[in-house]
Amino acid sequence: MSKRPPPDPVAVLRGHRASVTDVCFHPSKNLLFTGSADGELRIWDSVQHRTISSSWVHSAAHGIISVAASPLLGENKIISQGRDGTIKYWDVGEGGLSRNPLTSIKTNSYHFCKLSLLSKQSAKIKQSEVLKNNQDVEDRKDSKDSQSFLGSQLESSTQVEGGDDQIEVPKYIAVAGEDTSVVEIWDLNAAERLIQLPHCSVGSSNQSTKARGMCLAVQAFLPSESQGHLNVLSGYEDGSMVWWDLRNPALPLTSVKFHSEPVLSLCVDNSCRGGVSGAADDRIIIFTLNPSTGSCLVKKEIILERPGIAGVSIRPDSKIIATAGWDHRVRIYDYRKGNALAVLKYHRALCTAVSFSDDSKLMASSSEDTTVALWEIYPPQNTN
Amino acid sequence: MKSEESAEKKSRELERRVLEKVEHTITSINVSKHVDEVITALYSLAACLFPLNPHSFSGSVNEKYRDELHAVELPSENERTEWWKVFYKGSSFRAFARVLLYDIASSWLACFPISARKHVYDLFFVNGSTAEVVQVVVPCLQHSRNDSPETDSVCTSAERLLVLCLLENDGVLKIAKEFTGCCHSEDLSHEQLKQIISRVAQLVTAIPDKARRGAPISLSPHLFFKRITTQLLNGIEECDMNLIDEAAISNDINMYGAILFVGEVFARICRRGSADVLLSEVIPQILGHVRSLLSSTTNLKLNETIQSRPGFRFWLKIMEAIKDPYSVERIAEQVLHQLAAQNASDVEGYWILWILFHRTYKHQISIRSTFVEKFLIWKVFPICCLRWILHFAVLECVPDNTSQVKSYNASGLTDAVQRLVSIWSKREFVQSAPTEQQTYITAALGLCLEKMAKEDLDATKGALHLILQGVSCRLESPIYLVRKMASSIAYVFSKIIDPQNPLYLDDSCQVETIDWEFGTANPSKGSLATKMHCTDEKANKSESPSTMLCGKEISETDVDGNDNMMKSRKKKPSILKLIDPDEVIDPATLNNESVSEEDDSDHESEDSETSSGPSLQPYDLTDDDSDLKRKFSQLVDVVGALRKSDDAEGVERALDVAETLVRASPDELKYIAGDMVRTLVQVRCSDITVEGGEESAEEKRQKALVALIVTSPLESLDSLNKLLYSPNVDISQRIMILDVMTDAAQELANARIQKPRNQPKALITSTSDQPWFMPRSTGPPGAGSWKEISSTGTPLNWSYSYERELPSRPGQIKKGKTRRWNQKSTMHENQTEWSQNRFPQYAAAFMLPAMQGFDKKRHGVDLLGRDVIVLGKLIYMLGICIKCAAMHPEASVLASPLLDMLRSREISHHMEPYVRRSVLFAASCVLLAIHPSYVASAVVEGNTEISKGLEWVRTWALQVAESDTDRECYTLAMACLQLHAEKALQAAWSRVNQVRSESC
Repeated sequence: MSKRPPPDPVAVLRGHRASVTDVCFHPSKNLLFTGSADGELRIWDSVQHRTISSSWVHSAAHGIISVAASPLLGENKIISQGRDGTIKYWDVGEGGLSRNPLTSIKTNSYHFCKLSLLSKQSAKIKQSEVLKNNQDVEDRKDSKDSQSFLGSQLESSTQVEGGDDQIEVPKYIAVAGEDTSVVEIWDLNAAERLIQLPHCSVGSSNQSTKARGMCLAVQAFLPSESQGHLNVLSGYEDGSMVWWDLRNPALPLTSVKFHSEPVLSLCVDNSCRGGVSGAADDRIIIFTLNPSTGSCLVKKEIILERPGIAGVSIRPDSKIIATAGWDHRVRIYDYRKGNALAVLKYHRALCTAVSFSDDSKLMASSSEDTTVALWEIYPPQNTN
Repeated sequence: MKSEESAEKKSRELERRVLEKVEHTITSINVSKHVDEVITALYSLAACLFPLNPHSFSGSVNEKYRDELHAVELPSENERTEWWKVFYKGSSFRAFARVLLYDIASSWLACFPISARKHVYDLFFVNGSTAEVVQVVVPCLQHSRNDSPETDSVCTSAERLLVLCLLENDGVLKIAKEFTGCCHSEDLSHEQLKQIISRVAQLVTAIPDKARRGAPISLSPHLFFKRITTQLLNGIEECDMNLIDEAAISNDINMYGAILFVGEVFARICRRGSADVLLSEVIPQILGHVRSLLSSTTNLKLNETIQSRPGFRFWLKIMEAIKDPYSVERIAEQVLHQLAAQNASDVEGYWILWILFHRTYKHQISIRSTFVEKFLIWKVFPICCLRWILHFAVLECVPDNTSQVKSYNASGLTDAVQRLVSIWSKREFVQSAPTEQQTYITAALGLCLEKMAKEDLDATKGALHLILQGVSCRLESPIYLVRKMASSIAYVFSKIIDPQNPLYLDDSCQVETIDWEFGTANPSKGSLATKMHCTDEKANKSESPSTMLCGKEISETDVDGNDNMMKSRKKKPSILKLIDPDEVIDPATLNNESVSEEDDSDHESEDSETSSGPSLQPYDLTDDDSDLKRKFSQLVDVVGALRKSDDAEGVERALDVAETLVRASPDELKYIAGDMVRTLVQVRCSDITVEGGEESAEEKRQKALVALIVTSPLESLDSLNKLLYSPNVDISQRIMILDVMTDAAQELANARIQKPRNQPKALITSTSDQPWFMPRSTGPPGAGSWKEISSTGTPLNWSYSYERELPSRPGQIKKGKTRRWNQKSTMHENQTEWSQNRFPQYAAAFMLPAMQGFDKKRHGVDLLGRDVIVLGKLIYMLGICIKCAAMHPEASVLASPLLDMLRSREISHHMEPYVRRSVLFAASCVLLAIHPSYVASAVVEGNTEISKGLEWVRTWALQVAESDTDRECYTLAMACLQLHAEKALQAAWSRVNQVRSESC
């Protein structure tokens, strides 16, 4: 039986004038956000495949590292992170982006680490718990400066359904800090840094963390076992990954080293039971997470012909994963079994990011060849 | 004593009576006035000698003589025999024959009735002793110089008589039989007999030479020799067969005279250059004998069988009877050629050689040297003959593949190998011997070596050293065939040293048996069949251990299979398949299969769990990295990448794109060209590519270089010419430089310049409703409609003309005006592209620097000595260059320096045929390239340089055509001469035209 040839992109979005660095779908509308290395943020209609708006949100010299949208942020909100050491929080109106950002945070960090919001799905699941926890938080309002409570406070930021809650609630961002070996958690609303991981209250820098080198990838997530406390997974220059539980910011929950080269991208699935990591070496690791024991184990190791994975993404329904490779290819794997499903060849330069839409129907890949490709791959059969 | 005396007396008496009778007859003939008188006189003598009935011809004689005829008294039979003997042995026949041949033939014979001629005249010759007849008649032919009618009729009758006696009545065989008996019955001594035999044989074989132009066709050498050969062969064999009953001892003597005669005749036929005719009769006969013998008996003791078998004795002795070594050699040569033509097998060939030559080979040194020296070393035979020669003369054993015991003559073999190898290894031999001979000697050496064992090789003095020397000097040769010879010999040689580990110098020759003909000749079927047979056997032998191995493997896989069976019942059928002992199974595939099966089942189970199977069918996962490689877009990057020899992949990619980038001819090309040329020449393709990819990388490099030269000639050539004689490049790079320059020159010469096609403007519009040939109706308002103008000229008008009324423009001075429209002429539109030779302007840049330094010897550069191939290529390149500039003024200018170079002694008389070929080629190109008018004007104006050069080409080509050993040189020289002649003719014509136009 001859195999089917791999599909071509359903649409290619052209318009950026520089390498497209990140791509992200709007959580509910048919919108796609892309950021490019010359600081342009474009909003696309993902059905009509047209640009809706384009704005220069960061300076052309520095460019955008990442764009992120999440139901946690609110219906029409988007975050852009530039290499100019700022993170900007935007309102998306009908005609496009607001003229000025709602908030602009100066993190003073100049690096390549894409920021991470909470993984979207996990936020929804946690709604009820969040509400419950909120009472606790109320009691301890006064001790806000105590960062040990941060984890529970975070939950207050998660919205009650709908966009009706307009009150300013803290929204958290995990990102590599000014000291690039440190992960920082920022409150978006207050535009202030809440905590550093590892948190060195005594002032003595943690040698073991330093030795890992720069932090190049972070992923925040919220496993059910953590009782609403934020967990962060961070990947470092030496190939190691560290799992932090914010209840104990001084010491990591666990530290593993699956890769031999810098970890460049991380993704945790919605159940928070596992995830995928891509690195500059020739392997992709599908790993399991066990929040109760704090163990992180390799489930499947995929060896690549050509090294370098700039981005990984797990589809919201946890069926497949996509990787953006330096070898110009987007690869699709079965998330459960780890076997290869497709090699998508379209881009003519290295791929920077992949992202799935919330309904799992569409996938977008961005590349240094200034294009964004939209793919329909293994669309879910029974969708509403 | 008395009886003896009386017998002698009696015979003298008889002789006297015979003489008297003859004398009487002659006188009566001399005085006769009428033809019938002559007939009667002849009859009176004939009746005494032959049993004759006068009635058989008396009807044609006049009445009055008829009684006379009948009145002649007839002697008794005994008397007649006595008379016959005396008549022919004594002088009477010779005397009488003169009368018959000269007097009667010239004056009376024409009047003879046919029956009379047959019974009274011809009788004396046909029924006489043929040996005597020959001795008398043949000299008559010599008198044919002066063409008087008498001598003419004498010759005609002599020729007729010879045809009658020798051909129609098997006269030659009769002579042989006459000699059979004389050895012991006559009083002739051995020496005398030999002399007579040789004289008669000499006369018989001289007949075709003496016959005049108008002689019967059967006396022409080809037919005559053919007929007497068949006569002799059939007759002698018959005799041989009949003699079976008699005692073997007497046989020898009995046959001696006959065989001596036959041998003498054969020898003389060969001497007269008709050995091929002779052997074309001999070979089928003997081949038939040998074939029937071989099919009926086994090879064992075949030589004894042959010696005792009747019919073979003649063959065994005939060559001994031929004393003339030259003839023997010719015969042997022809035997070989004819056998090859008859597709004789190795065994047949061997036995025929053995039958014919084994006696002489044993006893006569000259024959031995003919075979071992001449046939093995100096002559060239088909390869199958070579095999027979080797078996017969060197190995002295039957070509027999089955026997394991070494029965050959080892000392003969080592001697022959020594002789062969000492010739084979010489460099001069490689350079100067014709290709056929080189092939032959190589094959001889190879076949000898194939037969050799290691101890034989050790016994051969200096063989090892000489073989290595020969191989190494051949491997340097530019000619493929010569290299192939070297690798074949090396292969055979290595098999002697270590049969398990043969040496393959050439990738293409991986076969077990070597084709020693090297594809130069059609292999004869017989030898091929035996070869095949041989290889089959070898193959069988070599296969047997491997099949054993297979058996082992099968049993192992069986064990595996059983294990699998324990695991799952599903795989049972596949195991059952395994047990089939005849099947060859690769355990690797087996493992793969089982693994994949397990995988599948794994998948199934998981799929059933998750029920996501069908939606996640993988796509085709094949992936090639072709798209990842196109990276270089700037020449600078390419040059940079090429310089990084440690980055093999980068160099390869740079080579990939180099040509296209250069062809795009960007602006910076001319600044970077020189640098890039240098870099490309220095790239080591073999280092950067993986095994097997050298060829394509090499090709890309050369193409890129060609592109560079073509797009930026002056800059590239500048650095190429510097590199050509630079000590920093090796021979292969020099050769490549020359190749590239050759290609580039050709490309430049064939360059096409494309002129953009003039798109015809929209003359024809399909949108408008009016016909296409009508002019548009657009125009100023108020314009009238178009009207056709009736043509004024011929009725055959190809175009339409129209006119219409136009209103005058505002402000226009009113003047009567009519506009006429016509179709645009399409004459010039088809001239869209033309080819233009771009080469001539660069010809000097190509040629002059390359011609400057060829004779200088410095470090690593030695064109005239070691680097023969470079020199050959250089000259070839120059030839191509001048050809590319043909008929342009540049060619005429460059021709004389080129001819100067070719004329230098060390080039035109170079040792290597390869160089000489190039020189001939270049000279031919010069002849092609210069314009005839230039030649004409050079001759007229006394431009000595070019005319001398051309004259040199002619003399030198003549010299080569006459004396060169290389065949290709010969053909090239002939072509060159032809070109020279044509050019001379053209030049003459152009001069004539010039003069004519001047005079006009």
